[in-house]
Amino acid sequence: MSLRTLRWLLVPLLVVPITWLLLAGFGHDPRVVASPLIGRPAPAWETVTMAGEPIGSDDLAGRPYIVNFWASWCLPACVDEHPVLAAAHEAHGDRVTMVGILFDDTPHDARRFLDRYGDAGYPHLLDDRGAISIDFGVVGPPETFFVDADGIVRAKQTGPLEPQGMDEHLATILPRASR
Amino acid sequence: MRRWLPVVALGVLVAVVGLATTLALGAAAPSATERSESLGAELRCPDCQGLSVADSPTRSAREIRRQIDELVAGGADDEAVRAHFVARYGEWIRLAPSAPAVWVIPFVVVVVGVAALVVGLAARRRAGPDATAPILTPEERHRVRDEAEALDA
Repeated sequence: MSLRTLRWLLVPLLVVPITWLLLAGFGHDPRVVASPLIGRPAPAWETVTMAGEPIGSDDLAGRPYIVNFWASWCLPACVDEHPVLAAAHEAHGDRVTMVGILFDDTPHDARRFLDRYGDAGYPHLLDDRGAISIDFGVVGPPETFFVDADGIVRAKQTGPLEPQGMDEHLATILPRASR
Repeated sequence: MRRWLPVVALGVLVAVVGLATTLALGAAAPSATERSESLGAELRCPDCQGLSVADSPTRSAREIRRQIDELVAGGADDEAVRAHFVARYGEWIRLAPSAPAVWVIPFVVVVVGVAALVVGLAARRRAGPDATAPILTPEERHRVRDEAEALDA
């Protein structure tokens, strides 16, 4: 192999993989972590609502549900997705249960957020130690999990939900006839 | 020689006892606290930038440390504790990659680089100076001739 041939070979052999690695790294949000929960049973949990009422995953069994991890300090992402969640609850609340879970937040601050941006009426739950968010593998709010009627996690949204994403994720947990 | 024998024997005895003590201490099973700390140092704090669970003060890190303590106290071995968190966060939660192939990649890159360098240098040495390549371009040749003639004049 001549030096010239080797030189021409070295260029693609070194430049192409390095460029590919850089492009792949810059194009990827490091916060987006693929969830190993997809296709597996959703974690079981028990807690209380902000109003102090006990609630657990068993109470949601038998119909699809959405678990949205959020916080009042999560700006602007949680503010941006708030109307999307409210609209989905209004449109599909009769078929899909929706719950919010506070991520490292206080009920006082969460209440102020809901007073300011609107309370859609679905319950918001406490996770004082963070055990529920760890069981769901939450890295940071907002993250939303879509669980079907059999209790299987079908989709996860990392970051704020937009209307199109909400529709796509809802389609994974709603029975075909009711979409 | 015989005079030095007790000294040599004492030296060997001290060395053997020291080695045995070191091995025994090294082989002693770590305590539950040491295991928990070590496992915490292996896991990524979910809501931090590049910190381990052991080094982070966040609520998530505290809860993971508490769960590690609970699992260790419950008899889980190290791999079971790691698997507990990998099942929730995926391999991302481990600060060090678990796949052995990943550790090999830097060495492969270095070996390929050195091999490319060696092959390149060998090819250059084999080729030697290019006899067919003109030493001077026609323009340079003209200039040399003109300057030589100017000097002669």
